[in-house]
Amino acid sequence: MNRRFYSGLLMWSSIVLLIFVLIAGYKEFTPEWKKYQAKYKELYMKNAKDETIKAKAKAFKIELQQIYVDKLNSADRCISCHIGVENPMMAKEAVPYKTHSGNYLDKHPIARFGCTSCHGGQGRVTTTKDAHAVEHDAHYDYPIVPVKYIQSSCAQCHDYNMLEKNGADKVVKGRKLFNEKGCRGCHKVDGVGGVLGKVLDGIGSQPRIYFPMRHIKGEATQYTWHKEHFLDPRALVPESEMKVILNEEEADALATYVLTITSTEMPREYRRIRPSLEAELDGDALYKKYCVACHTAGKESYFDEIFNRTIPAIMNPAFLRIADNKFLKSSVSEGREGTQMTSWKPSAAGLSEQDIDKIVGYIAKERPAGGAPRFNFAGFKTDTKRGETLYNIRCALCHGKDGKGGAGFLGINLRNPVTQSADPEFLAVTVRDGRTGTPMVPFGKAGVGLSEQDMADIVSYVKILSQSKIAAKN
Amino acid sequence: MEGLMKNFKTAVLISFLTLLIAAFFVAGNAGAADVKADLGKKVYEERCAICHGLKGDGKGITAGLMKKSEKSGRILEIIPRDLTTGVFRFRSTSTGCLPSEEDLMRILDMGITRSFMPAHKELSMDEKKALIGYIKTFSTRWQEEEPCKAIAAKKPKWIGSKKSVAKGEKVYKDMKCWECHGDDGKGNGPKSNQLKDDWGRQILPFNFTAGALKRGTNPEDVYITFTSGLDGTGMPSYEDSLNEEDRWHLVSFTLKLMGQVKH
Repeated sequence: MNRRFYSGLLMWSSIVLLIFVLIAGYKEFTPEWKKYQAKYKELYMKNAKDETIKAKAKAFKIELQQIYVDKLNSADRCISCHIGVENPMMAKEAVPYKTHSGNYLDKHPIARFGCTSCHGGQGRVTTTKDAHAVEHDAHYDYPIVPVKYIQSSCAQCHDYNMLEKNGADKVVKGRKLFNEKGCRGCHKVDGVGGVLGKVLDGIGSQPRIYFPMRHIKGEATQYTWHKEHFLDPRALVPESEMKVILNEEEADALATYVLTITSTEMPREYRRIRPSLEAELDGDALYKKYCVACHTAGKESYFDEIFNRTIPAIMNPAFLRIADNKFLKSSVSEGREGTQMTSWKPSAAGLSEQDIDKIVGYIAKERPAGGAPRFNFAGFKTDTKRGETLYNIRCALCHGKDGKGGAGFLGINLRNPVTQSADPEFLAVTVRDGRTGTPMVPFGKAGVGLSEQDMADIVSYVKILSQSKIAAKN
Repeated sequence: MEGLMKNFKTAVLISFLTLLIAAFFVAGNAGAADVKADLGKKVYEERCAICHGLKGDGKGITAGLMKKSEKSGRILEIIPRDLTTGVFRFRSTSTGCLPSEEDLMRILDMGITRSFMPAHKELSMDEKKALIGYIKTFSTRWQEEEPCKAIAAKKPKWIGSKKSVAKGEKVYKDMKCWECHGDDGKGNGPKSNQLKDDWGRQILPFNFTAGALKRGTNPEDVYITFTSGLDGTGMPSYEDSLNEEDRWHLVSFTLKLMGQVKH
């Protein structure tokens, strides 16, 4: 009985094993690409116009194809399926038999460029699923680059003057957005940029496992991730502080551009970049590159629910009237401690002194002629105690009792070092005249109507806000 | 006859004296009321007029200058309440009613989160009462109308349960909440751009995913909002159109949209 049972078991397992071996053998001899090539041969014969071509088509041998490019270290077997890319007779057929679109192959011969240098994907594998690697979730690092982002590959070798002339509209637009939406205000590239966001060097060549895919809606690839992240950063990274408002088209363009920020480089003989053609940036362009994401046009202040504080209007005429270039430069260079305002000096965010000067020049360009009338703060005998009472009634509504502003308060942080070390005369004129167009209204005769003594007392209290005595009391 | 006359004289004298004393008390009281009104006016002008205006019409000198940018990037103007209309959003009373004394006191004590209406905790009780008294002089509704009863909100145990969230989601669909607030509660529904308040200003539906609710984020507060409606805005009261249980289910779903319930 036992023996019979075991012989039976052996027999059945052998049969199952045999079936598996047969299936494996069948699969091995009928790979996906063979079917495509057979069909290609058929189409080739059909499209052939004369006998010589027909003979050529007849002689077509079904076999695995590969382009090996030594300089790029690539072995691309893509043409085993995409067999017609170089055959002009296949222009009207469907993918994968179709001729390569456009005239790109004339100047980028397959033998020299291969496929993956532009299209990404896994060149060495021989099935669609593995080669395109879109459905895999993590370990296939570089899925095929979707056609809508393919212009990012052009920028590996070509400069933007050439790209613009030759219709690479998306990557050109993406670069413009990157430079004009103020991305660098938070993100460093090549050592220059703000510190709030991630450093972007090499972001375009990072494998997909670097990107948090948990909340992604579309395909889990880095390409889709970039796009969805530009449309709604907090949908993918809930704690993100990214400030970006883009529509679909802009998000596609910017995704195309960030894919060009790679840490790898094409070999020198492939590159056609002429960096000397890049124009030097003026103050306007620098402001857009580094400041505009937070300060917008600089005329209005608004409370920002991402940063949880009010972002001041740095180009407000009432502010410029009393803030000289030296003050502006020290604010830009040193930043504002306790806020999101980065220090932009060469050793921090990495702007050069000249660039900071240009930005200051741009901010100050609409400074009204003639300064504000003096307040003559020094001429008042001030009473800090009285100032405290008045502060708590008049100022704490917006700046908070502790003067820190922040969440729930429209006013800025008065305890930051720049305000605390400011000349009391500067503060007194600010209280008296306010900042036109912002909730900081004039508290003097022109607005709320406080007496000069009241305002002087308030300023005397603001000046000691950050001192330990007050801090302890709060 | 003479006795009668004498009695009459005494009566007149007594009534006169009574009148005098009464007049004295009335006058005295009136004087006290005046002091109170003055205190209310003083506090109002020092603290409130900058935004709400000296006349209470919401046109203080900061009007039109206050803006905030939400996480989604949309920029909203902060509009101070026009106190002369007597219409208030954040009440514990039915729609169309005036807020209760407690409602006003609560706003003074806690402020309104994310709207920059600050809390005025440091005011004394007398000052707060005087201030509320003064605010009530801006609209005649306060003299003309009787106070309404506060809405009772007793939170059921099943709030936030999976079943309740699912039921709430159905209510959200059926009552077309999504038309304004959007399917995900982001305030971007198909009608979100066409909304105006009672004074013809464009307003935006609330984005539940952007943070705390102005009236309060406790389940009870959300329930009261559904019941009272936010008068003057497009947010109606569901006191008559939904039964109590459905309103609580809707609270569950709202908590889910806000990320406070995870399943």
